[in-house]
Amino acid sequence: MKENENNFESLRRLLVLKRHETPPPGYFNYFSRQVLQRIRAGDTGKSANWVEELFGQAPWLEKLLQAFNIKPVFASAFAGALCLLLFLGIIIVERPDLTSQPVLQAGTTTTSLAAVSPSLLQSVDQMGIVSSTNPVLSLQPVASLFGQQNSLAQPVSFSLPGN
Amino acid sequence: MIMSAPVTRTDDSETPAPVDEGLLVQRARRGDLEAYDELVRLHQERIYATIYHMTANHEDANDLAQESFIKAFQALKSFKGGSSFYTWLYRIAVNKTINFLKQRKNRTHMSLNDLDLKAEHDPDLMALISDKTPRREAGLTELQEKLNEALLKLSEPHRLVVVLHDVQGQSHEEIAKIMDCNIGTVRSRLFYARQQLQALLSDYLK
Repeated sequence: MKENENNFESLRRLLVLKRHETPPPGYFNYFSRQVLQRIRAGDTGKSANWVEELFGQAPWLEKLLQAFNIKPVFASAFAGALCLLLFLGIIIVERPDLTSQPVLQAGTTTTSLAAVSPSLLQSVDQMGIVSSTNPVLSLQPVASLFGQQNSLAQPVSFSLPGN
Repeated sequence: MIMSAPVTRTDDSETPAPVDEGLLVQRARRGDLEAYDELVRLHQERIYATIYHMTANHEDANDLAQESFIKAFQALKSFKGGSSFYTWLYRIAVNKTINFLKQRKNRTHMSLNDLDLKAEHDPDLMALISDKTPRREAGLTELQEKLNEALLKLSEPHRLVVVLHDVQGQSHEEIAKIMDCNIGTVRSRLFYARQQLQALLSDYLK
């Protein structure tokens, strides 16, 4: 225990060295003037450390940049991925818009419907239902809204046991 | 009511005149920049030194010390006087420094101030170099670097306690007020921090 105390005493004497670390001569002659200048200029103290502020708000950004510093291959991969995304974006934008094609392509739609369900095809023909890739629109009749009653409802007959 | 005590100017004037800090604070609260200039001059060296010893970087300490004084001026109207202006200012500086260090983690860069000429004539330090240090070739500059490296390995609260107590000579009570904790916590942190430093600097202390 006493040895510890002695060691702490040595440590405390070594720590006295810190008191001899002094800033450049004349440093404090201008310190308060700089503070007052910044106060008069309306400095909020945020501009000096805006990078730290940014990193404080988005720590993931700092980690990302650190990863780039540690392994430059990450930076290359990240840049490559960004370029690829940009390239794909350009291709998609330049590509003819599929949604602008005619909504009703009778030949193809009826053929495909017939393959799936002939009875459904019949009812589609009778009711004038337009097939579309849009599931909401697919069952909506368009031939006439008011002229005739188009209904997809079928009468249901229940046979209850005992009747 | 603002608690204050007459303090003595720490600049180079040969006949230091007592300054009523409470009066200066009241004037500064009304926007008197001359009064605030006096307050800055009163505390600039200790605030700068605390931040410098925490960061081991002169440029960071300069920025943080200036920002602490600016923030204190902006917050003066909210200063109720529950503690002395000095303690309140210290809290601002310490919180700002700790936040900065947390954000700067793993990006430590030392920019140490030169040792003054008095260091070479300090008998305690010379004794450490000539008698107790096994590596007798170690000069003061090497000791300074090793000491700062070891301090940077401590957590911020432990480093702060060592800086305030062993470097700046503040009492446990005052440190407890600044760190907003009880005296027991200050004592236990100081003991643990010294143990850590002792282990880190064992080559220079045997």
